[in-house]
Formats: sequence, structure tokens, C-alpha cells
Amino acid sequence: MPSERVLPRLFLLLLIAALALTGWQWHRGAPLSADLMTLVPGATQDPLVQRAEQRMQEPLNRQMLVLVGHPRRTQAIALAQRLGEQWQASGLFEQVQWSVQSDLQAVREQLLQGRLAMLSRTDRTALIDDPQAFVEQRVHSLYDPFSGFSLVPSQDDWLGLTGRIQDSQPRPASVQLDTASGALLAEADGQFWVLLRARTLGNAFDMQLPLQVAALLDDSRQQARHDGAQLLAASGLLYAANGQRQASQEITWVGGGATLGILLLLLLAFRRLRVLLAFVPVLIGMLFGAAACVALFGQMHVMTLVLGSSLIGVAVDYPLHYLSKSWSLRPWHAWPALRLTLPGLSLSLVTSCIGYLALAFTPFPALTQIAVFSAAGLLGAYLSAVCLLPALLKGTSLQPAQWPLTVAQWLMALRSRLLARVPSPALLGLLILFCIAGLSQLDSRNDIRQWINSSPQLLEEAQAVARITGYQPTSQFYLVRAADQTQLLKRLQSLGTRLDKLVETEKLKGYMALSQLVASPVEQQQLREALARLPGYWQPLLALGIPASALQTELAQLQALPPLDIDNALSGPLGEPWRPLWLGNDSQGVAAIVSLQGLSDPALLQQQAIDLEGVELVDRLGDLNRVFAATQISAAELKLLSCALIVVLLILPFGVGGALRIVALPLLAAVCSLASLGWLGQPLTLFSLFGLLLVTAISVDYAILMHEQIGGAAVSLLGTLLAATTTWLSFGLLAVSSTPAVSNFGLAVSLGLVFSFMLAPWAATRDKEHA
Amino acid sequence: MKTPMRSLLCATLMLASALAQAFGLDDLRKQLAEPAVVKGPFIQEKHLRALPQPLLSKGQFVLARDLGLLWLLQTPIKQDYRLDAQGIARRDGGGWQRLPGKSAGAEQNRLFFAVLQGDSSGLQRDFELNLQGDARHWQLRLTPRSLLLKQVFQHIDIDGGRFVERIQMLETQGDRTVLRMPASNSASQLNDTERRDFAQ
Repeated sequence: MPSERVLPRLFLLLLIAALALTGWQWHRGAPLSADLMTLVPGATQDPLVQRAEQRMQEPLNRQMLVLVGHPRRTQAIALAQRLGEQWQASGLFEQVQWSVQSDLQAVREQLLQGRLAMLSRTDRTALIDDPQAFVEQRVHSLYDPFSGFSLVPSQDDWLGLTGRIQDSQPRPASVQLDTASGALLAEADGQFWVLLRARTLGNAFDMQLPLQVAALLDDSRQQARHDGAQLLAASGLLYAANGQRQASQEITWVGGGATLGILLLLLLAFRRLRVLLAFVPVLIGMLFGAAACVALFGQMHVMTLVLGSSLIGVAVDYPLHYLSKSWSLRPWHAWPALRLTLPGLSLSLVTSCIGYLALAFTPFPALTQIAVFSAAGLLGAYLSAVCLLPALLKGTSLQPAQWPLTVAQWLMALRSRLLARVPSPALLGLLILFCIAGLSQLDSRNDIRQWINSSPQLLEEAQAVARITGYQPTSQFYLVRAADQTQLLKRLQSLGTRLDKLVETEKLKGYMALSQLVASPVEQQQLREALARLPGYWQPLLALGIPASALQTELAQLQALPPLDIDNALSGPLGEPWRPLWLGNDSQGVAAIVSLQGLSDPALLQQQAIDLEGVELVDRLGDLNRVFAATQISAAELKLLSCALIVVLLILPFGVGGALRIVALPLLAAVCSLASLGWLGQPLTLFSLFGLLLVTAISVDYAILMHEQIGGAAVSLLGTLLAATTTWLSFGLLAVSSTPAVSNFGLAVSLGLVFSFMLAPWAATRDKEHA
Repeated sequence: MKTPMRSLLCATLMLASALAQAFGLDDLRKQLAEPAVVKGPFIQEKHLRALPQPLLSKGQFVLARDLGLLWLLQTPIKQDYRLDAQGIARRDGGGWQRLPGKSAGAEQNRLFFAVLQGDSSGLQRDFELNLQGDARHWQLRLTPRSLLLKQVFQHIDIDGGRFVERIQMLETQGDRTVLRMPASNSASQLNDTERRDFAQ
């Protein structure tokens, strides 16, 4: 037949094109990504919120905080210095900081310039409302040997405004400066901890960087141990490195395990080395999947690879379709066997693709990627199984082992004996009882943390760092918008007043808002007016011997200070910690972030924003978890929709009754596996649901095989058994993944496959069953 | 930045970790650490560059070797302070109020750390110590080592005999604080009032 010569050549052309595409895609390094956030739905379309999120995320992905701990202070500092120098030399970091040196002169200037604008709200109110007390406090502080000195000499600031500004600056809870070395130091657990901060050149989602940073850290840990010291590290980079290592391990395990298992099965069943060529469609499928994924998304996430490696077991089903005919077809030849099974194969491709592509309509980029990867992969596997493999197997005559058939026959006999005692309706009744009882124990749980396999050690260290330094950033923050800076500062202050109450009641550890740094122009003006009244109260200062002229001059200077806006305040050295909070102007107006410290109840945070115009709580994690829950419902709908589509498709070859029967079985299998999750005490997650969505599509194939009964019930069951075993091998291995989301997915699919296999014989119509 | 006084406390209490010379720092440390309690009047002069007259104040101090320092300002204003290992406290109507680690700035506004708490080993780390004289008349000069401290202090001079008699702090800005303790006495223990002051 001419098609037997043309098809392989055409396919080879296609294969070469795919190889070329892949080669081009990978020529500048692997287009892989490990950024978790690209896998979850974009929370918002609002560019400002996105910008704010990036601003808050950035330090997490690029910064590493390390505490160098030693019982002796000098040792801790010396080691931190040594490590700091090594890190700087490593070329991985933009900046490594273990000590601070400051330019006091610049700070003095900013303090003097900011005497009106940067005076804290409390001090401003004190000066306006009770100038007499304000002056008395100043007299006290001049005598007070412990008030410390202001950075600004008294004669430049008789009113002591700069000292008050100095005192109101935020400071980290437990970190202090070692004045001799400039090191930042904390004391806890009987050790001195020196804070080492590093900022990487790239971010956590470059593929190489996290691993390099983690390796450097391990090396430093060893040095530290050698010196009797201890390192505690916290960084998003370490999570990324851990995730990457885990992912590549799992790809090896799942992919390698499934491959070995399937090859072994092929060898044992068909007893011909050449039959290992059946693995060619698998490889080609992976190639197509990866090429399509990178072509569509520009890159591929490592999680797609992990989940995608389960495709191995599904792709190998296509060659198995006609290979398994060798039990009934004697003599077996590749092309005729293919022609015989082609309709079933094609149906199987379409139903599986419907199942996978249904995943693409969820709002999860992760699943869209997996769907595209899998659909393209299946198409590639199908095409190579149909066009190429028969040519490769031409001339091979298969004489498969008898044992698989014996097993299938034994299973069929077992089933008949069972049915003889308990009729099908009774079995169905029992199954339904099993399902109801199981479903009632099922509880649903969704959390973004299921996506992350966080090692307990990383978590513990991060918690220790937070405890020792008192630095506990939260993922939630407020975004505040306004028409102009005056309005913005007012809104920030209204929010601040509410947050102060939370801080007082210890529901929040702290917060940072631009309104703490700089007063609005209106407030600056109020202060100016209040100063004009001050000469009525400054007698006590004159009594100390301060010349009246000096006070007059100072007052005139203060009155003449130009109003400062946010940009002015941020440009000085004192503005540094606040800079990330300022989002600046856009066409809509101005916006700023209010960052929070110390874990708090997100619901409580949400309440604070109520009735405050322009104030919005951004809680990406909370939003995501809500999206998860909502998606669960839409996933169930998608599942039903994909089933309806498959029914429509199957009506043509099998009629309404046959189609319904074929689809009802996988659905029942899905319900059974849901119930099993309940019995096993496993939660229902979005992922298990997606897994079941997939099971339905894959196992329709088994029902079709059993329904068609080509070569008799036992041979059909054997085909189903082989297909199910290979698929089960690859998904079953996912269940051992240490990422909860992945293992949940694997478990759901594995259970679903077992039930699908057990139920598949009922797809045969009664008359065929008895034929 | 409760510095000057904290440094003082350290200087007096801990000349401690010092080195040895003819009359060495170690001898000085032993000499100063000998009495359990030292007390007496003090005169505090703050010489501000722009003022013709120094700001003068007077009071009483009690230095307890194992507990800390009470600094009771009596004229022209009344105000009690207490320094101990935990930090600094000020007495108001309701008793001792611990002052927050003042201005110990956020890592960002670095400088407020400048002259942070002189913990025991701190003095030698932060200052170079230079001791002259003998047990009856000695002078100790503290010169800051770090850039940060140098931006605040020129040096600190401490003189004394059996007890510390005079402390002078020269700030880089030109202001100067002199503390004089001309008539100190030693005691073997605290009296009841003092013990109460330390206890609360």
C-alpha cells in the first residue's frame, strides 16, 4: 500500500521540523522556569497592584538574610566578615553587607531640612497643642545626661526638633549595631548573631542562581561548623533551589521508574527486543509536548515537566493497542494490526485530548501548560505510532508470552464466578454504598502551600531568623491611592490610626507608611503657624542663657523652610527604608504601599480597609486560595462538560446506549476514587480533582477497548490491563512526590485507574459478553 | 544613644577588661571595683558652644558594683535616672519607666546606633585606652576606634584617684560635657532607700 511508504517519510519530515524547532528553542539554554507565581492565576489586571506586588516580592526573590552565630561576639563578627568577603568575591551577588558605615553629615543635613516636614505626628501635636510643655521638655532634655546627644548640635536646633525626629525613626526590634565594627548584631539563645545581607544579581527564578547560592551557603556552613559557629539563612532563593533539586530528582524517579517498568513489561509480554521500539512514540511525544509548550508560553515550568513525565505511560498505550492484538491475530503484522485498531486509536486520542484540554480552560496557567504539553505530546505519540512505528516493526512477527493472556483469562473467570453469585445490580448497590460512605468523609482543602515542597529545615531556619532579628515581613500589604500627595498622606494617616490600634493590642507587630516619614503640606503649614506663637512660651529657654536673638533666628529659619514632599523626604539617607513603599505618580494620581510586620489575621486586616477610600488590602495568598476553591467548582463543571463532549463523540460509532455506558463507567470510577480519598483520609484538593478529570478521559479508552471486544473478552481485557498498568506506573510514581500538589494528583489518578480497570468489563454489552 | 553616661558607667565599672602596665588598666580595674558601693555628690556641666555659660546641674549618685548606677539630678530640675544591665530608666510619678533603646536606629538609619550601649567588653572594642599616672592620680583617655564613633566623639577623658573624680566628653561637634564627683565615699552596702531604688 502506498501509504505505508509515504506516511513514514512524511512523519520523518515532521519529526525533523520538530527537532529543529526544539534545537532553536534550547540553543540559548534551557527555557525552563521555576517561578511558582507564573503557575498561579494572575490575581489582578490592575497594573498598579501588579507593580506593588513586584515591589514587595523582589526582596524575597533576591535577598538572602544570614545570621552568623557564635557564643563569642568577636568570633561571630570575624566570621561574618570573612564570609561576607568570600560572598562578595563569588560574583553571585550585587551587594553583600555585613557592616554599616554611615555618613552622619548627610543625615544631619536631612534632619535640619526636615525639621517641620519630618517631625512625627505625636511631636507635632505636642508642639501645636501644648507649647509650654514642649518647651519644658526641651529644657529637661538639655540637662538630661542620658538623653544622648542629637546629631545636630544644640546651637543649630535649640528647640530640639531633630532629636525628636531621630528618636521617632523606626528601628529593628532586636538588631543592634556593634559600634566598633559596624556589624549588625543580635543576641539570642546564648549566642551572638551577626546579620549578613546579600542581594543577588539575578533572581530566584533563574535556573542556575539558586543552586549556586545554595552551594555557596553549604560551603559557608561547613566553614562555620569548623569554627564552632552556626549559620541560619532565610531566602526565597533557598526555597527555589530546594524546589529545583526536588523537581529534577522527581523527574528522574518518575520518568526513569516509569520507563524502566514499561520497558520491562514490554519485554516480558512480547519477548522481542525489537518491541522496545514501542517506546519511540513516547520519546517523540515528549519532544512534541516540550516544543509546543515552549512555542506557546516561551518557557516551560519544571512542574510541567514533573507532571508531564506521567505522559510516558499514556503515550505508550498507542503502540500497545495494536501490539496487544498479537495474542489474537496470527500471524501478526504491524500494518494490518494498525489498520484494525486505527478507529479505536483515533477515538482514544480524541477522548484523551478532550480530557487534557479541559484542563486548559481553568484559570491556572500551570494546568494550561500541562494540558498543552500533554495534548501535543499525545498527538506526537499518536502520529508516530500510526505513521512511523509500523514501518519500524515491519517484518517483525510477534509471538507474545502466554502468561499475560492467562492472567487476563483468570481475571475474567474470577469475574464470572463473582457475577454468578452476586448479580451486577447488587454489586452496583454495594459500590454506591462504598461511595456514599467514602464521600461523606471527604474534606476539601486548598492552599498554595500545597504547591511548595518546603523542607522543614528551611522553614525552621526562616522562623529562627525572624525570631532573632524581629524582622517578620508579611505577604499582605495595603495599596493606597489618591489624587495627589496631600490626599495620599491623609489616607495613609487614617489607615495608620487604625493600624496603631492593632499594634497596641498586639494583633500586628508593626507597619511602615510614608505618613510616618513626612507630614502633608497642610500639616507642615499648621506647624509653621504654631511656631509663630512659640515666643510666648520660650522664657524657660531664655533662662538657660540662650540668647533671644539665637531663638529668633532659628524661628525665622524654620518659617522659611520650604515644604517637603514625599520625593524630597525619600531622597535623603533617612528615606532609604521607605523608598520601596512609594509607587509615584501615574495618570490616575499617586499611590503608596503600607507594609506590615508580624503575622496577623487577614480578615482583621481586611476590616481596617473598610470605609477608607483608596485603601485596598492586597493579599495574594489569600486571593489565590480563594481562586483555588472557586476553581474546584468550575473544574467539576468542566469535567461534566468534557464527558458530555465525549458522549457526543461516541454516539457515532457506538450509538447512544453504548456511548452513555462507556462514559458512565469512567465517571463511576472517578466517584469511587473520590470516595477512596475519603476512606484514606486524604483531602480533596484542586489537584486531585484535576487528576480525576484526567482519569475520565484516559479511562474512556479502556471502556472502548472492552466494548469493542476485538479478539474476545480476555484479549480485550489484556489490552486494557497492559494500557492501565503502563499508565498506572507513571502516575503512581507521581504519588510519591514530596510536593503535596503533585503527589495528590498522582494518588487521585492512580486510584481512578484502578477503578477504571475494574469497571471496564461492564462496558461490554450483554449479548457480546455472552457471545 | 544613652552614650556618654553608659560609657561612663562602663569606664568606671569595667575598666575591667584592661591591659597591664606599671600602673596598668588591670590595677585600675581592681582599684575601682574594690568598694561595693561608691556614692557622693556630682556636678554636671554642659558646655554648649553657643552659650557663654555652661548648663550647670547638681545631684547625688550611687554606684553599686553589682547593680548599676543611680543618678539623681536635684538642681535646677529634679529628675532621677537609673542605669543597669537592662538599660536606662527614668523615674516619673508612677515609678521607674524604662526608656526605649533610644534611637538605636533601624538598620537603615544606621547612625543612630552610633554610640550604642557600651556593654562590658564594649569599651575596649570601641575605644583605644590610654592610661597615665599612678594609683593616686591617674588619667585615662578613650579615643574612639570606629569611624562611626569618631563622627560623634573626639575623646573621653577620665581622671581620678581611689575613685573616679572627673569625666570629660568632647564631642566632635564642639560641645563638651564635664561630670565632676569631687567628694565620693565608699560603702560596704546600700541603704534601704537605695536598695529599693535598684529593686523596682
